[in-house]
Amino acid sequence: MKTLTAILLLSAAATAQIRVIQLPGKSPLVTFRLVFTTGAAADPVDKPGLANLTAMMIAEGGTKDLTYKQFGEAMFPMAASFDAQVDKEMTTFIGETHVDNLTAYYKLLRAKLLEPGWREDDFQRIKDDAINGVRVGLRNNDEELGKEVLFAELYKEGTYGHYTGGTISSLEKLTLDDVKQFYRMHYSQSNLFLGIAGGYSEKFLEGMKKDFRTLPTGAAFHPRNKAPAPITENRAIVIEKDTRSVAFSLGFPLLTTRATKEYPAMLLLASYLGQHRMSGGVLYDVMREKRGLNYGDYAYIEYFPFGGFSMEPPQNVARHQQAFQLWIRPVEPPTAKFALRLALYEFDKLVKEGIPQDGFERTRDFLTKYVNVLTRTKSAELGYAIDSIWYGAPNYVDEIKKSMSTLTRDEVNQYIQARLANRHFVITVVTKDGEAFKKLLASDDPSPMTYNSPKPEAIMAEDKIVEKYPLGLKAENITVVPVGTVFQ
Amino acid sequence: MEDVTHLRGWPPYNKGVIAKWLLLACCSAAAFAANGPGKVFPYAYTQEDLPNGLRLIVVPTEFPNIVATYIVVQTGSRNEVEAGHTGFAHLFEHLMFKGTKNYPKEKYTETLRNIGASSNAFTTDDYTCFYNVFSKEDLPTVLAMEADRFQNLKYSEPEFKTESLAVLGEYNKNSSNPGQKLREVLVDTAFDRSTYKHTTMGFLKDVQDMPNQYDYSIKFFDRYYRPEYTTILVVGDAKAKEVRALVDKGWGQWKHGEYKPEIPQEPAQEQPRTAHVDWQGAALPTISIAYKGPAYTDTAKDSAALDALAYLAFSQTSDLYQKLVVTEQKADSLFGSMPNRVDPTLFTISARVKKQADMDYVRDQILAAVKTFQEKPVDAARLDAVRKHLRYQLALSMDSSDSIAGVLASFVALRRTPDTLNKLFDQYAALTPEDVQKAAAKYLVESGRTTVTLTPGGAR
Repeated sequence: MKTLTAILLLSAAATAQIRVIQLPGKSPLVTFRLVFTTGAAADPVDKPGLANLTAMMIAEGGTKDLTYKQFGEAMFPMAASFDAQVDKEMTTFIGETHVDNLTAYYKLLRAKLLEPGWREDDFQRIKDDAINGVRVGLRNNDEELGKEVLFAELYKEGTYGHYTGGTISSLEKLTLDDVKQFYRMHYSQSNLFLGIAGGYSEKFLEGMKKDFRTLPTGAAFHPRNKAPAPITENRAIVIEKDTRSVAFSLGFPLLTTRATKEYPAMLLLASYLGQHRMSGGVLYDVMREKRGLNYGDYAYIEYFPFGGFSMEPPQNVARHQQAFQLWIRPVEPPTAKFALRLALYEFDKLVKEGIPQDGFERTRDFLTKYVNVLTRTKSAELGYAIDSIWYGAPNYVDEIKKSMSTLTRDEVNQYIQARLANRHFVITVVTKDGEAFKKLLASDDPSPMTYNSPKPEAIMAEDKIVEKYPLGLKAENITVVPVGTVFQ
Repeated sequence: MEDVTHLRGWPPYNKGVIAKWLLLACCSAAAFAANGPGKVFPYAYTQEDLPNGLRLIVVPTEFPNIVATYIVVQTGSRNEVEAGHTGFAHLFEHLMFKGTKNYPKEKYTETLRNIGASSNAFTTDDYTCFYNVFSKEDLPTVLAMEADRFQNLKYSEPEFKTESLAVLGEYNKNSSNPGQKLREVLVDTAFDRSTYKHTTMGFLKDVQDMPNQYDYSIKFFDRYYRPEYTTILVVGDAKAKEVRALVDKGWGQWKHGEYKPEIPQEPAQEQPRTAHVDWQGAALPTISIAYKGPAYTDTAKDSAALDALAYLAFSQTSDLYQKLVVTEQKADSLFGSMPNRVDPTLFTISARVKKQADMDYVRDQILAAVKTFQEKPVDAARLDAVRKHLRYQLALSMDSSDSIAGVLASFVALRRTPDTLNKLFDQYAALTPEDVQKAAAKYLVESGRTTVTLTPGGAR
């Protein structure tokens, strides 16, 4: 087993405390993960998208001394990287270089973060990118769109209630001064986790810490997100656009995080119901393998952006509040309602019957080994270490293994009752003909399945139940929105 | 297991939010010199052929405990030579998870889950790859299970029909991306006879007809899942001799096949072609200009020179990118690429344009840049920067046994040996500015050009 060697060094200084996480090693590579504990939750109410635009401006703009062009020319021969990732509570800069180029690379990284160029022409270009990111990017990814609308809806009254990338009308109004002000307020020493791994020297790190002590010391005040309003009835948002198939995301707020004691039990039940992008989960098995409804179906207890591109969970998207979610990948329109019914039927079955003993054991054994692969790169290992500290939780991989060795089926079933029973869903649907789909959802008419091949008796019998399974959606709880208005 | 298919799409749509997910793997391992002499692939390896034609390549690395097996079948959408059967290489990637008599699907999945393996597969134009990453003590189990499914795969017609629907589901989930549609139309327009005329997913009508093609699927397996098409890569904490013994035991009885496809040769294109996509919904106008390029070669400079040209003329550090994207801000992306493929393929330049009115201007700027590179040799210092970039990029991409195997798989698919990588980099090292100029003049010609535009609904 890999031992995490992250060392948390708290600066002796009484005020500013840069938290340093280091994983020194012999690798010819040096990996950086600089996390500022700020993000879209800190966007001013009238300025959604500001945190993201600020990070983009740093990652994709010039520095005080170098234009963006000059910066690109300096980076190119090294094939090194420097990227930004923004979520609700964290803004992360991730970089990597071969140790041959460490001095030259660090000079660039340092200038990017400590001496941004703030040029107006960079700002115009990056703002256009951000606007197009919503207008033609997110809106042309039906699955990601549905997921983001779901989260925004679940947390609409709190600081998580807008898309991290912002709205188009907000982005259009943001100014370079807004970005500079956000940077001054939030890019501070006490907000910073400085993660570094690989073949750097102690002297190098000392120099880096000294440089980053030039950031302002104090942390800006962030209001904690409000507790989400309970969902009292199932409701649906139908996003209408011209598209071939029907994509669904559904969920409800969940206060389970890595800091809460039920986390391992909840992780296990989500894995049992639908481990991300793997066969073996219940939903994947009944929906894709047995019935050929779509490409895959999964369950989550934590935010997992870009699941269509990524096989393993991201790091540094830690949140105080999460959602329990089901992701139903695009379905052919004639079978869409059946697919939704089947997902809810399986969810209700889990709540009613609990997890079976063999399913519990199988999932527990799987997770005990699977967690090892999550930290197979240095960058991921740094990311997990920073997340654990942020949550105030022990080392993730060790803790999951330890928990799995003592967790019981009864505990999982207790949490199924406590966290999943008697919940209602917000369902987002991306489809063409929104009004027709609304009618379909609101009606109790059966939605029988037909197959292109004979199916076993058991499936046919189960289908008879599923085809009439109540969705619990009243017409007044279904809203149709044209895609052009989403995050507008 | 789920599968993934390599598809070309547009760059990230929200750079700030998404950037991290596009990061290439990092870290490197063995001794490496950016500009120095010597081979770029720094690991010693063994390469052996079994009497049945199966090739085994073992690469011991210094990364402890973990082993990666990548099984490369030199069959991709390129091998889909019969009308009505496009997408079959990819469908077969799915079917390979359907199990055997000894390892029914559930047992196969269960075993991999129990050993905590990270497993998957993907299909490309030229090959299909099945991979597992796991603890070294599980190597005998993995090699035995893989040997079993490659030789004894068994699936019923109903199972086949259901799986073909999951493939349609995969097509559907990709279809909301305009870049995907543009690519489909580009290759369909540019090629007449080459099997690169269809993407790896296949033509939609063929995907929809897959449920009716059970018998053909059995023929496809019989043709291509044979030792002479297959290379087993074992990378990590493993010893060549022990691996060979395991492979002899499990794979030695596998029968050599008979089938050799006749891959149609693309006739010379005689005049430029154009096509247009009306995208229903919001999209930025996009233009792709493609030229008939060469097949991969490492015995001549053509592929390497065009690859360098793509960087010099159309990457982020190119003059054209700086002009269109950074200074004038008329486009929000520009890139060029010359992929390494077994058969002649396309050198493609694509730009996404902010305003419809600037489409012709951007096209003309791209064509002017092509002309410049045909007329003048590039600056030698910039060519050196490209060489350095390529070598560091390679070193940075080999940070684990898993990622080393992944890099090798793409080269093994071309020439069945890791030395392919060294040979290609020898070509990069030998390139002169005149070579790049010559390649631009030879391949980027008007008569071999295909231009495809995409605009949002009705806005042409």
